[in-house]
Amino acid sequence: MSFFKKHKRKLPKMPKAENINKEESSPNAEKENNKLVKDWENELSKSNDYKKTFYFNQKSGKKFTFTYIPTLIEEKVLDNNALPNLLEDDFYQISDVKKLLPIADVEVSTNKDDIPIKLLQGYVLVTLEGDRSGFAFFSAQKAVVRSVSAPEIEFSVIGPKEAFVESIGQNMNLIRKRLPIEELIAEEFTVGKLSKTKVNVIYIDGITNEQIVNTVKQRINDIEKDEIADSSYFTQIISDNGHSPFPQLLDTERPDRVASSLAEGKVAILVDGSPHALLGPTTLPEFFNSFEDYYINWILASFIRLIRLFAVIFSIMITPIYVAIVTHHYELIPKDLLVTLVTSRRVVPFPPILEALFLEVAIELLREAGSRLPTKVGQTIGIVGGIVLGTASVEAGLTSNVLLIFVALSALASFTTPVYQMSNTIRILRFPFLFMAELWGLLGITIAFCFIITHLLRLTSLGQPFMEPVFPLRVNDFKDALIRLPFQNQAKRPIFLRTKDSTRFSSQKAHKKKDIDE
Amino acid sequence: MQQPVPENLKISPFMAAFVVVAMQIGIGVLGYQRLIAKDAGYDAWISVIIGGATIHAIIWMMYKICETVDGDVLTANIYVFGKAIGKSINTFFILYFTMTCVTVLAGLIEVLRTWMFLNLNPLLFGSIYLLLGIYIVNGGFRTVVGIAFFGLAVPAYLLLSFGFAIRYGDFTNLLPILDHTPVQLLKSAYSMTLTFLGFGILLFFYPFIKNPGKSKKWVHLGVVTTTFIYAALAVISFAYFPPSLLEKSIWATLEMWKIVRLPFIERFEYLGLANWALIILPNVVISLWVASRVAKQTFNVAQRKVVWLIALVVLIVVQMLNSREKMNLFFDIQGKVGFVMAYFYTPFLFILLLIKQKVKTK
Repeated sequence: MSFFKKHKRKLPKMPKAENINKEESSPNAEKENNKLVKDWENELSKSNDYKKTFYFNQKSGKKFTFTYIPTLIEEKVLDNNALPNLLEDDFYQISDVKKLLPIADVEVSTNKDDIPIKLLQGYVLVTLEGDRSGFAFFSAQKAVVRSVSAPEIEFSVIGPKEAFVESIGQNMNLIRKRLPIEELIAEEFTVGKLSKTKVNVIYIDGITNEQIVNTVKQRINDIEKDEIADSSYFTQIISDNGHSPFPQLLDTERPDRVASSLAEGKVAILVDGSPHALLGPTTLPEFFNSFEDYYINWILASFIRLIRLFAVIFSIMITPIYVAIVTHHYELIPKDLLVTLVTSRRVVPFPPILEALFLEVAIELLREAGSRLPTKVGQTIGIVGGIVLGTASVEAGLTSNVLLIFVALSALASFTTPVYQMSNTIRILRFPFLFMAELWGLLGITIAFCFIITHLLRLTSLGQPFMEPVFPLRVNDFKDALIRLPFQNQAKRPIFLRTKDSTRFSSQKAHKKKDIDE
Repeated sequence: MQQPVPENLKISPFMAAFVVVAMQIGIGVLGYQRLIAKDAGYDAWISVIIGGATIHAIIWMMYKICETVDGDVLTANIYVFGKAIGKSINTFFILYFTMTCVTVLAGLIEVLRTWMFLNLNPLLFGSIYLLLGIYIVNGGFRTVVGIAFFGLAVPAYLLLSFGFAIRYGDFTNLLPILDHTPVQLLKSAYSMTLTFLGFGILLFFYPFIKNPGKSKKWVHLGVVTTTFIYAALAVISFAYFPPSLLEKSIWATLEMWKIVRLPFIERFEYLGLANWALIILPNVVISLWVASRVAKQTFNVAQRKVVWLIALVVLIVVQMLNSREKMNLFFDIQGKVGFVMAYFYTPFLFILLLIKQKVKTK
C-alpha cells in the first residue's frame, strides 16, 4: 500500500505553486475558483453519498467542516483518529491538522481544483471557519480488497498459490515482494476520461529495452477511450494489430509469472480493477507454455510442451482433414481403414462438411452454454451434451461415430492450451480450414495454412517478431520455446527482447562439473 | 539514387540462403529427370553436379557486381549503361519476373489438374493463390523471406519419402558410369540449369541482407544443398525407373511417391502435391516481390498498388495458357530468357562494370 499512497500524493502537488500565485495576483481568478467550487458542490450534492458535517473544537470553539463521500471512506478513521483529535486538542488554524492527526497522508493545500479529485479518491476535506489560508485533506480510503486467492485460470499443482486481485496496490505488492530491487520501476498513467483507470507500466531498469518501454508508454498515452473495465481492453487497444484473432500480449493472473517475465526483460502492464497483468513482447510459443513448466523437471516439461504442440495442431487440423479426405481423396486411405470409415458413414445422409459443421457447432454450443452457466449446472450440461447428444446423433444417423471421436478429441486437445485467450483463437481457427477443405481438400488445407502462417509472420508484439524463434530463426531462443532446457542452460536472456543486459547469471559457474571420484 | 533499406527490415545473412534455395526449388523438381536423361542417359547425375558447379561462379560474379555498386542490379545497370538503357533493361526485368510468376503458377495448376483435381477452376485457384501472394508481399520483404523459410522447412519431411523408392531401386542401372561424351553431358547440364534457375534474385534482394559479406558462405552452401538434392533425387530416380519407363514419365518424382505405403496413407502423392502448393509459394511470391519492387524503383510507383496490377496480369496470362502447346512455348521462352540472363547477361554486366571502374579510377 505504501507505494500506492506515495504516488497519489505526488500527482496533484505539481500545479500548486502556480495556483498560489494566481490567487494572490488576481481577484478574477478567485471568483472563477469559487465558481468551480460551486460547480463540483452542485454536482456532488445531487448524489446521496455526499456528506458535509460541522463540528466544534472544544478548546477554541471554532467551527470546522468535514466534506467527504461516505461510500469511499473508512468511517473508523473518522471516528477513532480524526474526530477525537480535532475536537479535543488545540485547533486554531488549518495547518494544525498536520500536528493533530495521527494519519500519514495529510496535506494542507490551497488549490481548489484538487478538491473534487481528492474527494473522489477517498480523501476527507477539512475546512476551518475563519481560516481562509487554505484547507486540509487526509486520506481515509476504504480498501475493499478481495483477499489473495489461488489462481483459477492458470492453476498449477506445484508452485505458489497466489493470484492477482482487482486492487492495483495489492498487485504491486505481490510483484515487489518477489523482486525487492530498486531497479524495478513502476510508472503510473491514468487512462479513460470517465473511468480514470490507473495503469502501471512495470519494468526493470538496466535490463528491459528502453525502446520497448517507450513503445508501451507511447501507446498508453495515445489511448482515446472513455472507460477501461479490464486489462483485456488494453490487449485490444494497444496491441500491434487489433484486427488479428491472435492475442499479442500475454495476460496472466500469476504474480510469479510476471516477476520472472520482468527478470527476463519484459514489460508488464497492471491495470487497476483487473486481476490480470499483461506481458509483452511475447512470441507465439509462449502462449502454449504453462508457468508450471518451470516447476517441474525440464525433461517432463519439454515432453508436456511437445504434447501441447501436437494437441494444438491436432485440434485445428483433424476435422478439416477428415472432411478433405472423405470428400475429395478417399483413395488416400488404405483399404482396411476405408472399410471402417464407410461402415460408420453408411447411414449418414449428409455430405461430410455438413456432418462436420453440425458436430463442431454442437461442441461450440456446449462450450458456450457451459461457460455461461454456474459451475454446477455447467457440469450437467457437459454430461447431457457429451453423452446424450453424441450417442443419440450417431444412433439417429446424423453423424458418423468416427467423426464424433475426432471432434471430441479435438475439443479435448484444444483445452490443453494454457492461455485462455489463445484457446479461444484455436476454437475459431478450424472453421476457415473446414471451408477450404471442403473446397479443395488437402490442397485447400495447405492454402489456409499458408494464409495463417503469413498472418503470423506479419504479426509483431510491441514491435518484436511474433513467430520468433522459428522465424527469424534464432536457435538460441529455442531453449525456452517449444521445449525447455534446464536452468543452467538459460544463462542468457531471450534475444527477441533485445535486453540491455543479456546475461542472467554466469554460465561458467553453473556449468562447473567435478570429475569422477573427486 | 536508391533509398537505403532500413536496418530493421533487413534479413540475417543465413536467411539469404533460404531465399535463393526456395527460388531454385520449384515445379521443375517434379519431372526434371526425363529431360536431363534425354541427352546424357543415366550419367545425367554428373550433369546435375556440373550444372550446380557453374552456379557458384555466377553467384560469385553477382556478389562482385552488388559489392561494386553497393546496391542491387538496378543500380548497376544505370551505373554501367546510363539512365536510358539502364532503365529499359530494368523494365525488362519486370516483364521477366512477371513471366516467371506466370510459368510457376501455370505449372502448378497443370500438375494439380493432372494429378489431383481434374476440374480445378484455374480462375478461382489462381485468384486465391495470387491474393495470398499479395498478402505476403504487402507484409514486406521480411514476410517474403519468412514464407521462403517455411516453404522449405515445413515440406522438408517429403525428402524422407524418397527412402521408399531407394528400397525398390536397382542401383546397377547407373552402370557403366561415364559412357557418354562430354558434349552429351554438357547438353544435359544445360537442361538442368533451366531447373536450377532462380538464383538470379540475389541481384535484387542484395541490399536487404545484413552483413552481405557473411551471407556468401550461406548462399553457396544453399546452392550446394540444392545441387545435392537434385543429384540425389536423380540417382534415386535412375535406380527406380528402367530407362524405357523414365522416357515416358513426365512427372517422375510424383510417380516415385506411388510406392510409399504407410499404415494410414495409401496414395502419398496427394499429400506431396498438397504440400507442393507451399513449396511453389515462395517462387510466386518472390517473383511478385521482385517485379513490383523493380517497378517501384524504375517508375516511382507505390509497390502496394503495382503488385495488384502485376498479379492481375499474371492471372490473365495464366488463363490464356489453356493448352499444352501454348504452355510449352511459353515455358520454353521463359527458360531460355532466364538462361541468357544468368549465363550471358550476368558475366557481361560483370565485365563491363570492371572496365567502367578501371576507366573511372584512372
